Amino acid sequence: MKVKICGITSLEDAQAAVRAGADLLGFNFYPASPRYISPQACRAIAEVLRPTGVCLVGVFVNAGVEEVRSTLAECGLHLAQLSGDEPPEVLAELGGLAFKALRPADSQALDGMLARYPARASAPAWLLDAARPGEFGGTGQSADWRLAAGLAARAPLLLAGGLKPENVAAAVRQVRPWGVDVASGVESTTGRKDFHKMVEFIQAARRADLAAEPASAPRAGKYGPYGGQFAPEVLMPALAELEEAYAAAQSDAAFQAEFERLLAEYVGRPTPLSYAARLSEALGGARIYLKREDLAHTGAHKINNALGQALLARRMGKRRIVAETGAGQHGVASATAAALLGLECVVYMGEVDIARQQPNVQRMRLLGAEVRPVQSGSRTLKDAVNEAIRDWVANVGGTYYLLGSALGPHPYPAMVRDFQSVIGREARAQILAQAGRLPDACIACVGGGSNAIGLFQAFRADPGVALVGVEAGGEGLATGRHAARFGDPRKGRPGVLHGTFTYLLQDADGQVAQTHSISAGLDYPAVGPEHAFLHDSGRAEYTSAEDGEALAAFQMLARTEGILPALESAHAVAEAVRRAPKMSRGSILLVNLSGRGDKDLDTVLGLLDRQTGGAQ
Amino acid sequence: MNAPRDLNRKPTGLERIRAAFQAANRAGRAALMPYFTLGYPDAAASLEVIAAIAGAGADLIELGVPFSDPLADGPTIQRSTQAALEQGMTVRGCLELTARLRERGVSQALLLMGYANPMLAYGVELYAADAARAGADGLIIPDLPLEEAAQAQAACLANGLALVYLLSPASPPERIAAAAGATSGFLYLVSLNGVTGARSRLPEGLEGFVARARAAARTPVAVGFGISTPEQAAQVGRLADGVIVGSALIDSVSRSAQPARAAAEFVGNMLSALSPQPPGKGAGERSFVGEN
Ligand SMILES: Cc1ncc(COP(=O)(O)O)c(C=O)c1O
Repeated sequence: MKVKICGITSLEDAQAAVRAGADLLGFNFYPASPRYISPQACRAIAEVLRPTGVCLVGVFVNAGVEEVRSTLAECGLHLAQLSGDEPPEVLAELGGLAFKALRPADSQALDGMLARYPARASAPAWLLDAARPGEFGGTGQSADWRLAAGLAARAPLLLAGGLKPENVAAAVRQVRPWGVDVASGVESTTGRKDFHKMVEFIQAARRADLAAEPASAPRAGKYGPYGGQFAPEVLMPALAELEEAYAAAQSDAAFQAEFERLLAEYVGRPTPLSYAARLSEALGGARIYLKREDLAHTGAHKINNALGQALLARRMGKRRIVAETGAGQHGVASATAAALLGLECVVYMGEVDIARQQPNVQRMRLLGAEVRPVQSGSRTLKDAVNEAIRDWVANVGGTYYLLGSALGPHPYPAMVRDFQSVIGREARAQILAQAGRLPDACIACVGGGSNAIGLFQAFRADPGVALVGVEAGGEGLATGRHAARFGDPRKGRPGVLHGTFTYLLQDADGQVAQTHSISAGLDYPAVGPEHAFLHDSGRAEYTSAEDGEALAAFQMLARTEGILPALESAHAVAEAVRRAPKMSRGSILLVNLSGRGDKDLDTVLGLLDRQTGGAQ
Repeated sequence: MNAPRDLNRKPTGLERIRAAFQAANRAGRAALMPYFTLGYPDAAASLEVIAAIAGAGADLIELGVPFSDPLADGPTIQRSTQAALEQGMTVRGCLELTARLRERGVSQALLLMGYANPMLAYGVELYAADAARAGADGLIIPDLPLEEAAQAQAACLANGLALVYLLSPASPPERIAAAAGATSGFLYLVSLNGVTGARSRLPEGLEGFVARARAAARTPVAVGFGISTPEQAAQVGRLADGVIVGSALIDSVSRSAQPARAAAEFVGNMLSALSPQPPGKGAGERSFVGEN
């Protein structure tokens, strides 16, 4: 779904529109328009905007070919929108440079116009606006959406006319246009754009578009529009082999029995569900229960998935596994599973993470794994994934890539979810047994999203249970230093990274953004594709906790419950700390304590030292 | 969308690519397709280097569009794209450089090689339209397999651009057939299981792989990844219709104080290695599998 913000008259508004996520910007050269801008002023704005990659459109009314051509060139614009009564020859002469704005009164008028103005070869083919004799667009009236729907089915249509944040979703659902065009609907006063209205408009349009995606014939590995297999060709056969092997393992009772046996006898499952009495008391609201993945062998939920996949690797006859790790928990879990099953193990880890998660680096080495430092890019989890995939590409025959979260190309997101869904299955039975009812909300931190999806899965069909994912708010969403893919609409937009289409923190040029979090395991620019779907469909909600809140929650849990949580898990605790006081004493929050905090002691002690140092 | 395309006389991207392979074929050799990163070491210098590559007689040129996370690339190309991004290169900047190459008279077939996400962020339809307008002839998108390519395919078709699919030695017969059927311009054979980067030896089994691909192909087949020396190029040139060289060229340009000159020399050496021995008239026409 493309969004065009039209009638830009200042650089400030233009930049706000780009930040809000606009794809096209319109500049109106019709002198009678209240949003008129001179070519000189437009040129100054266009110069600044060109590097952002947005498409810049000049809007003309009854201008001649030469005027259009020279204005486009002079201002550095990409396309012309012809909003007047231009004869078809003007359009033909401008070739691919221009598209026509149509303002038909009825279907007969539209047919006449289409005979004169055939679809442009590339998108948008046309713009459709409301009819209002004697005026040339921007009238604030709605176009005929029924006519528009017919047109949109033929070629990429840009829909205009009276759109605003409140009605754009309905328009998108009915018309299914290529893009939507808005001017007055996102203004505070005529000619002045309002940033928040633009964000609201763009999000409403995009969500409606994604939700209206045809539900028929879903491809394996797609979650609505998300997921898929955006992988280099070398890996496609390997992914097919994996998909097949996983399907076979799923229906193989012996494989499932072996997995369950290991979860019980080796991991120590089921992990307990603990009622956090003193924490709940201190917050004075909802009762908080903790799902204790920190008590699983190796100290986090990661072992569930690592064992499942390592068993699969062995079943496939692979002797070597490669893995990426951020916090080191997945690296440790992979090294552990490899040791247990007699496989060779190489773990890629960013240099920044190696420095902040030393205990886990040492553990991996003691477990016999080779830890390869990654020096490229931001030297964190994202770059470790890049290197692990490159290794897999080069050794695709005998190597198994053991991906640590519900990410990556199909079948990984589904496979990791399935191996982690034991968390939710246990927790649901435990809360029913201990509290006699389901929780009001399930809360989990979301890095790639494996502990969260593993918990959510069992509660998805329970309408009374809210599902809450907590992203890393880092130093605050406004600072740009965070990893909140859903929380920051400016940078978090659907895109492709590491083989999957999902929400991705990126700049306007599509370059992946640097992220920041106090916790290495949440410090990643993309999120599992199933979470993207749960987000858009509204079944789950996503919030964020900042570094400071996570640190405070860490301390609070330590002092009230005698538990040092992983900094990742502390984000989920922070959300519970926020919510519980506002809820009645009868209500229940179920928090996934995904891991324990031993690995984070250096980080936490360093920060606390600095805090007390600063206070003195 | 079947609107008539404007009728100016410029050849379409597909036609230009086809002509490049045919011309090399008439000269009795494989086509040489150097890869160079747009914006490396900076925008102006990359323009000079690519113009020099063209001036030295390369048949087609792959223009690398930088991406922050180039999964399929080894250290050399990673460093070059990273440097280009640090210098402020953008997708739009790449399209502008492409247009500048055309203004400077570069007439070779130009293929934009870039990852999926920057294209998606730009808008697939707009990207194809702007790429065609800038003078590009085709797109190569290493992380967009056939299964995910429908939208890009339609956009390329609408703009007369080739969309080149890749195959690897691991591709099974079904995938070879599917890519051969869908590709336009040529079929890109990744010589080995691995990322880009100069290698000291050609991979084993290359001959068989090229033969399998060629049997299915309706277009020329070109081989890339790992080809570093003129000798290797000559060997590959005896098997395939095109030879793609990237990392070794970038390495030699990076080492030199005169990048454009180094590039021209590199391309010159590769071309003479590809040319039939003894060079000149009388070299027999290569047998050339027909293309559609
Ligand atoms: C303890 C812990 N919790 C959570 C995460 C985040 O990963 P995910 O979102 O896949 O659960 C990590 C990742 O390293 C972790 O170690």
